[in-house]
Amino acid sequence: MEFFERFAIPHPSPAIYASMVAIGLTVIAIIAGLTYFKKWGYLWREWLTTVDHKRIGIMYLISALLMLFRGGADAIMMRAQLSMPENKLLDAQHYNEIFTTHGVVMIMFMAMPFIMALMNFVVPLQIGARDVAFPRLNALSFWLFFMGAMLFNISFVIGGSPDAGWTSYFPLAGTEFSESVGTNYYMIALQIAGIGTLATGINFMTTILKMRAPGMTLMKMPMFTWSAFITNIIIVFAFPVLTVALAMGTLDRLFASNFFTTNNGGMDMLWANLFWVWGHPEVYILVLPAFGIYSEIISTFARRNLYGYKSMVASMVIISLLSFLVWVHHFFTMGQGAFVNSIFSITTMAIAVPTGVKIFNWLFTLWKGKIVITTPMLYSLLFIPLFTIGGVTGVMLGMSAADYQYHNTMFLVAHFHLVIIPGVVFAMLAGLTYYWPKMFGFMLNERLGKLSAWIISISTLVAFIPMFFSGLDGQARRMYTYSEQAGFTMWNMISFVGAAGLAIGFALIVYNIYYSIRYAPRDIGSDPWDARSLEWATHSPVPEYNFAIVPNVDSTEAFWDAKKKGHKLFKGELEKIHMPNNSPIPFIMSSIFFVWGFSFVFAMWIPLIIATIGIFGCMAYQSFEKDHGRYISVEEIKETEEKLGGPTV
Amino acid sequence: MKELFPIKQVMGFIFSLVLTAVALAVYFFDMSFTAGMTILLVTAFIQAGLQLVMFMHAGESEDKAHIYTNVYYGIFIAIVTILGTLLTMVWGYV
Amino acid sequence: MKIDHSLPLEYSTQENQMKILGFWIFLGAEIMLFATLFASYFVLAPRTGSGPAGSSIFELTPVLAETILLLTSSFTIGLAIHAMRLGRTKPMLVFFGITLILGLAFLGVEIYEFNHYIHVGAALQTSAFTSILLTTLGTHGAHVTFGLVWGLFIMIQIKKNGLTPQTANKSFIFSLYWHFLDVVWIFIFSFIYLKGMM
Repeated sequence: MEFFERFAIPHPSPAIYASMVAIGLTVIAIIAGLTYFKKWGYLWREWLTTVDHKRIGIMYLISALLMLFRGGADAIMMRAQLSMPENKLLDAQHYNEIFTTHGVVMIMFMAMPFIMALMNFVVPLQIGARDVAFPRLNALSFWLFFMGAMLFNISFVIGGSPDAGWTSYFPLAGTEFSESVGTNYYMIALQIAGIGTLATGINFMTTILKMRAPGMTLMKMPMFTWSAFITNIIIVFAFPVLTVALAMGTLDRLFASNFFTTNNGGMDMLWANLFWVWGHPEVYILVLPAFGIYSEIISTFARRNLYGYKSMVASMVIISLLSFLVWVHHFFTMGQGAFVNSIFSITTMAIAVPTGVKIFNWLFTLWKGKIVITTPMLYSLLFIPLFTIGGVTGVMLGMSAADYQYHNTMFLVAHFHLVIIPGVVFAMLAGLTYYWPKMFGFMLNERLGKLSAWIISISTLVAFIPMFFSGLDGQARRMYTYSEQAGFTMWNMISFVGAAGLAIGFALIVYNIYYSIRYAPRDIGSDPWDARSLEWATHSPVPEYNFAIVPNVDSTEAFWDAKKKGHKLFKGELEKIHMPNNSPIPFIMSSIFFVWGFSFVFAMWIPLIIATIGIFGCMAYQSFEKDHGRYISVEEIKETEEKLGGPTV
Repeated sequence: MKELFPIKQVMGFIFSLVLTAVALAVYFFDMSFTAGMTILLVTAFIQAGLQLVMFMHAGESEDKAHIYTNVYYGIFIAIVTILGTLLTMVWGYV
Repeated sequence: MKIDHSLPLEYSTQENQMKILGFWIFLGAEIMLFATLFASYFVLAPRTGSGPAGSSIFELTPVLAETILLLTSSFTIGLAIHAMRLGRTKPMLVFFGITLILGLAFLGVEIYEFNHYIHVGAALQTSAFTSILLTTLGTHGAHVTFGLVWGLFIMIQIKKNGLTPQTANKSFIFSLYWHFLDVVWIFIFSFIYLKGMM
């Protein structure tokens, strides 16, 4: 019995017990459902062992949506707690846990997989490739992310959630002030997911450099592919910093080392420093693919080619370098002195320039365009004003002297939500709607889609604009309650209304998906938006080999030119196609990683050692395995093409 | 037997041993911190460059440009991170 | 799979070329990994708390031995790749084997060194300086250990299958990894040991 006591929740409440029951019932329902409908084999063959970038993209997408609702539930609880002074809905400890998991889930397990979903699905299609450079590594990346996310999510029913904030600053995150295993979960779950992300970065950089269709030079790549390329460069150079910081944090917590402690020379500020050396590039990892999506959507629905292609590319390259030069602006108040703060203030201001260039390029693309307002376009248009509010308040925060006033207040919270929601979430919802027909062969309902875009946009403003005011009035972030005399009541009540609106908006998206699955027409062809780049030149849904014949490209908008100017995309005859085989190794290895992580969290060394051996065993097996893939015959391709309706261009 | 020991690699190896010996000067001779660091920086970076070009064949394939860009980018960010961290946590800290 | 015979075996297929480029990109990430450790080391090195400082625990002899062992092993893996390109499987395996033996010797000295540190009261828990020292050295040592096992697997595969595009590719990538570990060691040697003993 003593053994099991460590798994108990240190700070239980009826809500957590209810969640335990709910999780248990869901798991039983899923297992029973799969068994009853005899879907285990299907699940294993088609999904768990797949190495197809499109299926992996869809699995990322599903995970991201699930995590969106997990993180959203946290958000609603926080806003409900703060909606009234002296509210008793949550106590301080629960509030701490909830804002921590909200932050981590939304950044690491919602936004990251969402961009991974779109990159996985779209990039190989846009460059005319059959898959990514290393399909198995890609599957491993997904499963590592997934297991990391699951490990993090079970924390609130087994052992307790982390409660030191998503930034997990030491010494608060050290064992002295965070005794429960919660912060161990943080360190190890992020480590596992982070390894997966790093592998994705390497994979996509190689894919984009080596697998482009003939004729597609770097400066003829579609803008989303460019943004994905730059993003993956940032991933490759930023994530190792997180790896090291998390490893050092883990050593501090489990092996009593002295990196971030307050005695024996330890330096708690070093954690903040390393965290943001990774953390600031991470912001650009999230927002650059979003910019790429907007570029695609805006030029598609303005019916014009993108204005200033070269300046778009140049600004992203500059952003990728500058993103590594600004991290100190996250902790101007830590005491590093005016000289250091001034340097980082200036670099921070500088990064607004390339970002501004991009905004103007979109506006110039719209100028004299024949604008068609579809759901993805509506998100893109609403993004510009909302993001500008987030952007200019960011410049305010970037001025180090003024930052002493704003630091760690609700003003900051309002700023970064107004950057990330329009900047990333809108783009992902726009991308979801835009690529949905390519993924599934039918469109999402436009009327419901536009309605949810409006509800989400207005609710975002209602939820976060009040925080600017309450922040300037002195409401600190992360405080779980306030007195009536403080005068924050009205602002927080308005915020709560906005949060409820956001919940309605997202629920409407779910309803839209359900509605469209049932009622949307299926005969929409392969190019329902009249789009411009290669992904629309193949069938919807996309056959596993992507393109029957590898396309030949001679402009930035190959498919548009093929449609309008009669360029021939697909030259030559059908040939047998080489494809990689499915493999269970990524899934099995990641599952062992889950066990490894769980053992690590609870410092159970024997299972940890066994799991470590298991992981290396998988790698050894992989090393010795001889698998040269398989071929799809010409007859098979012909049959598939026939079934999907013949040639597309 | 002789063709197994290409002159380029043998010279590279000898040169790297020489550089190690030069670096050892900072241990055996009394010198200022600046002088010592200069010697270490010069010898270490030459050694690294030697490995990169001579042993790792960084410039031999068609991906030469990608490989060099990648390495230079990494070194740039690495130096920024190291110097920036020192600036923030040590030199500039008041 | 298309094999281009005008190129060395390790570059002869598209897949092989991608693996080599991908590994270079991975090495870029490794540069950042060690840069972060070095950044932390430089910040924490003077923060010795009540524990010993670097100058009082570093010993030149084992460090020099480690340096020469690793430099030599980097040389021999280079010779192994050269022999591979000449198509001489046997000398290649010999050089490969010497590399791994030198690596093993390096690891032996490093274990002695760690033992020495703990003996003189410089354990992971002692101070911020010892924490980062042992972590940085340990990360490099773990890379070497991983390399030894990986290299052994590649040798077995060459023994079994001969020099094919696959095994040649793996060997070449392993050589990149090994040279890189040597580069990292040069920086450890210069900026941790020699700077510490200066």
